[in-house]
Amino acid sequence: MPKNEMPSGALVLLILRVLRSGALHGYAIAQRIHVLSSEVLHVEEGSLYPALQRILLKGWVSAEWGISETNRKVRFYRLTPDGLKQLEAELSGYDRVNEAIQSVLRTA
Amino acid sequence: MSQLFRRLRYLLNRRRFDRELAGELEFHREMRGGRPFGNTLRLREEARDAWGWTWIDRLGQDLRYAARKLRQSPGFTITAVLMLALGIGVNVATFGFFNLMFLRPLPVRDPGTLLHFWRQAPQNLADNFPYSEAAFFAEYSKNLSAVMAASGARLKIGAEGKLLNAHFVTPNYFSELGATAAIGRLLDPLQREGPVVVLSYPFWRSHFAADPSIAGKMIHLNNKPATIIGVASKDFSGLGLGTPDLWASIAQQPYFISGSDLQGVQMWGRLRPGLTPSVAEAELASLAARLRQQDPKDIWENETLPSQPGGYAATVRPEMYPVFAIVAALGLLILGAACATLGSLLLARGVSRDREIAIRISIGAGRIRLMRQLFTESLVLAGLGSATGLAMGYAALRGLMIWTDSPEWLNPAPDWRVTAFALSLGLAAAILFGIAPAWQIARQRVRATKVRQILIGAQVAASCVLLIVAGLLVRALNHAVTTTPGFEYEHVIAVYPSLQGYSPVQAAAYFDTLRARLSHVPGVESISMASNPPLGNRWTVDKANVAGQSINIHSNHIDPRFFETMKIPLLRGRNLMPGDTQAVVVSESLARVEWPSQDPVGQTFSKDVVVGVAANARLVSPEDSDAVEVYHLAPQELLPSMVVLIRTSGPVEPLVPLIASTAKSIDPLLFPEVQLLKSSFSHKVDQAGYATLTAGVLGLVATLLACLGIVGIVAYAVSQRTKEIGIRMALGAKPADVLSIVLRQFAAPVIAGLLVGIGGAAVLSQILRGQLYGISNLDPIAYLAAIGVFVMAAVLAALLPARRALRVDPMLALRYE
Repeated sequence: MPKNEMPSGALVLLILRVLRSGALHGYAIAQRIHVLSSEVLHVEEGSLYPALQRILLKGWVSAEWGISETNRKVRFYRLTPDGLKQLEAELSGYDRVNEAIQSVLRTA
Repeated sequence: MSQLFRRLRYLLNRRRFDRELAGELEFHREMRGGRPFGNTLRLREEARDAWGWTWIDRLGQDLRYAARKLRQSPGFTITAVLMLALGIGVNVATFGFFNLMFLRPLPVRDPGTLLHFWRQAPQNLADNFPYSEAAFFAEYSKNLSAVMAASGARLKIGAEGKLLNAHFVTPNYFSELGATAAIGRLLDPLQREGPVVVLSYPFWRSHFAADPSIAGKMIHLNNKPATIIGVASKDFSGLGLGTPDLWASIAQQPYFISGSDLQGVQMWGRLRPGLTPSVAEAELASLAARLRQQDPKDIWENETLPSQPGGYAATVRPEMYPVFAIVAALGLLILGAACATLGSLLLARGVSRDREIAIRISIGAGRIRLMRQLFTESLVLAGLGSATGLAMGYAALRGLMIWTDSPEWLNPAPDWRVTAFALSLGLAAAILFGIAPAWQIARQRVRATKVRQILIGAQVAASCVLLIVAGLLVRALNHAVTTTPGFEYEHVIAVYPSLQGYSPVQAAAYFDTLRARLSHVPGVESISMASNPPLGNRWTVDKANVAGQSINIHSNHIDPRFFETMKIPLLRGRNLMPGDTQAVVVSESLARVEWPSQDPVGQTFSKDVVVGVAANARLVSPEDSDAVEVYHLAPQELLPSMVVLIRTSGPVEPLVPLIASTAKSIDPLLFPEVQLLKSSFSHKVDQAGYATLTAGVLGLVATLLACLGIVGIVAYAVSQRTKEIGIRMALGAKPADVLSIVLRQFAAPVIAGLLVGIGGAAVLSQILRGQLYGISNLDPIAYLAAIGVFVMAAVLAALLPARRALRVDPMLALRYE
């Protein structure tokens, strides 16, 4: 199966989006994206964790300790108000670009 | 902003974050079950990178490694640090002095808003004011929150007649400067006070044995009673360098000095918040114009009042630039020589590290990373050198302060400016001595000779300049003590009667009486007067551009007997005569530049007719060969400020008491000062001696540095070519051949360095022209001597290690490796 890598900008958008419905730990974020994309998108650890650090640095998510489903103490990431704002901004930007691309693809 | 905050928080809790990340990755790996997972260590590093602090880890790594490397070779480290410390210390000391004088504000309240004023008109310039003018400004200025005035005078204390320095100041002087009293109180601007004085701390200690109950006691100044109200605190600086023995209110000056007219006071103002000096200057100029309508005699037409910052020990004047330039250049040359030497040592050291570098490159170290590592070592050396240099500079300055008995508040401890200066010098030095070797070593090109040769050339050039400058100063000093300055000084006594408050007519009467009484004294040969006595502390200099050459014209007002008293021959024309108002006598040097091919007598020189030409006599600055003299007949109104010059037939010393008492006996209120021109001259020569000594020490230090460098480099060259030398000796090479193999490669850079050094010295010494007592700044003897000394030292330094080449045993050398 070919691996579908994605640009890191898109990865940030997806991470923020899956965190909107509640706090998740790193593995769950990767899983959620994988599942929601009908197993098309694989999030590699090598890009997930650096991306999470960058988002932490920007202040779009905050980290907190929680207990995983396997009863392990693990870090959960939660969307901050700043992160929500960023998500909305990126979503609308993404929609606009996407529509533009679609219209080119349709008509050209 | 908050991003920066999060970044800093990460930095502070780096270890915890890292541990947590490791745990998180471990959990992720477990959840993945058996499926492949990336290298955890690498993952962690990549994740850490996002926080942007990896450089700190690398820097820490480099620093630790550098420290370890330097500890391994303590001999090299100590030599290097000492060399750098010497180079930096010299500069720290000079900059520290500059900082104390011109950059560090005085320890007074709010020094930044203080302005020192002077007065200027199209034809006039003065740094002192009639007190009435300062008082007028104090009353009417809206832009200055306070105006302070001060004037200095010498007063006689008690019955024994010891002279002391008094400053007469406006009563707001202390409160405005935020001064506190060590004992008693200070002048109070809010009350009218009688004759009260405030003692300075050192004077209270020296003259009153630090008497704690001094406040309220009476003293007699100029035979007038006065009450001591207090002692100013130890760290009160006043405005400017000269701390007087005591202060009194300016309103009391006529009480202590009868006839004092308060015509020459210094003036300072405090600018109101938010205003610029130019606003205050403009306001004062318009106030001066207003005052001129009431008092046209004291205020000049079109008078302006330029200001300069007043809260510093001294202010930079354009004529100081050459001095700054030469001092800075000499100091930087020393540092340059140290850097060049250190550079060659580092290169030589690079050879012994060749193997280490090769191994590091072969296991994957990048060249940039290696260079950074090597440069970090240089930075560590530079840091150590800066710190040691800072300490050395402070010690030197401290010693100077103690030696010159400087006031207590002048604290030479390095402040942030000096520290920053030392650190940036260290950084610059590290770049200078560290970059090229680091580049060469990291590229494994240590055996390339180009950089090495450039470094030798630089060392030679820098040391040469310093030695030549020292040689010039030695020559000048020698010239000064072995030749006459063009006038008699061994047997002349100057009497400064300070006829304050005298009218010209009274002054004329005083001088007539003095001359009459002294002319009967046995041993007195000739008596005359001058406004600017030779070797004195007053002078009038005009800068003029004559025939494209800038010269200093010293003008003097004299009486007709002056030339005879000072034994200055008249070469052409006649002497000045009573009634000569439009006549001048010029010195031969002026005549030669001004009228090279014509008879100077009869020419006009700035509205006056030249009646005579006198031989050159550099009366005020014997060290300045570009100075020329112009003599006018002293007009009547200058008489109160004239100085009497007396030439004796025998030794001067026995006559001093008699002359002093005679000058005083005419008016007991006077305190005439008597100076021997002989001691003024030797004082001047002493000063030149210190400068020469300093330059000589600097030159020797630079030569020593260069020699150290040469020893190191030649020793290295010998060890490099042991095998070759062995082969050549086995084939029958003579000792001279062997030496030439080892030393030939250094000939070209040394000669190039010498040439650059000579050129540099020729340019730099231009600035010194005015300090050389008539010796040319291209004086061949000085140049040859300096080059001779240097070449001899360099040859010795080269032969010392080169001898090892002669002792090479061909058999051993061939078996080696």
